[in-house]
Amino acid sequence: MLIACFLGGAAPAPVSSTDTPTADQKAFQDFFKSRFPQVSIADFANGPYAVDAGMRKQWEEIMQFPPYDFALDEGRTAFGTKFANGKSYADCFANGGVGVRQDFPYFDTKTGEVVTLDLAINRCREANGEKPLPYQTGMMASITAYMAETSRGKPFDIKIPDDPRARAAYESGKQFFYSRRGQLNFSCASCHVGAAGERMRADILAPAMGILAAFPIYRSDWGSMGTIDRRFTTCSAQMRSVPLPPQEVAYRDLEYFLSYMSNGVPISGPGTRP
Amino acid sequence: MKALLAFVSLAFVSLAIFSVSAHAATQAEAEAAVADAKRAEAAAAQYNNRWVPAEAALAAAEKAIAAQAWDEAVAQATKARAMGLRAVEQSKEQETAWHDAVIR
Repeated sequence: MLIACFLGGAAPAPVSSTDTPTADQKAFQDFFKSRFPQVSIADFANGPYAVDAGMRKQWEEIMQFPPYDFALDEGRTAFGTKFANGKSYADCFANGGVGVRQDFPYFDTKTGEVVTLDLAINRCREANGEKPLPYQTGMMASITAYMAETSRGKPFDIKIPDDPRARAAYESGKQFFYSRRGQLNFSCASCHVGAAGERMRADILAPAMGILAAFPIYRSDWGSMGTIDRRFTTCSAQMRSVPLPPQEVAYRDLEYFLSYMSNGVPISGPGTRP
Repeated sequence: MKALLAFVSLAFVSLAIFSVSAHAATQAEAEAAVADAKRAEAAAAQYNNRWVPAEAALAAAEKAIAAQAWDEAVAQATKARAMGLRAVEQSKEQETAWHDAVIR
């Protein structure tokens, strides 16, 4: 399988080249639906468990006592706790922050940048005189776990506004996803498109479609919770590419592209992975 | 006479090879090698594409400099520079090559 990843796996043959976000999304989703015809669009939110019966069975047993429950409780409490100035996270988000995960990341036409849920949480904290949280694990994972849980079942609904900067951010994320980097010469697509559903040692590689729907996740390999930033940085390191700092523009653009590609896949986070 | 000439030539060649292989790097050579490696890594960073082993080799080279192990510093810095240059090459190639991988 490693060889398949190096060679780009079973890369799909180009059939058209309209290259608009809408056309990209349709081609992307058609590819995965055709590759995994037995998997419903909703089940793509469950990553490797959607495409491997053995792993799914193990997961169902794990889910009798979900390992993210402690983080979820911690996040729920933190979310409801007021800041020193008397305000709270709820004051920073639409609908009090409940059921909004599926709308992140979004492109902010005022600032001209992609805003992820994690970034919005830290900006909320800073606007209210609190210190920002570390991005990869800990309380950030707990709060996003709670917010994701309030959005469970709601499909990703990422929009690309009619703004050349939004389109540029989308294109930047797309380029990052498909570009090979690092000593092993892998791209994100090498594993999560061409080799999706195949084994990489003991792991089953998750399909790219819906891959972010379950975040944050409790990963057995980590023995703790992790955010999307943690996953991006560990993926980079596994390709022997020096990871970028969390919430770097390139990572936010990548999250924007991947989430837009997954429109229609319901949020399932917090999740658990091997 | 012919045999003597051959012997003397062989002796000179052997001496030359021995001199090259036994050449110990100087502090100046080690520092220059590290500076070259840093330039290559800086170029790779411009593409957001530094390689983990290149960074490790550069760190090892700097550690060797601190320990005044000039040969080791040159060896590690040379490795780091080669990987830094390859990372730049990879990034330049991918500026167009990534299009071929797009699902269409």
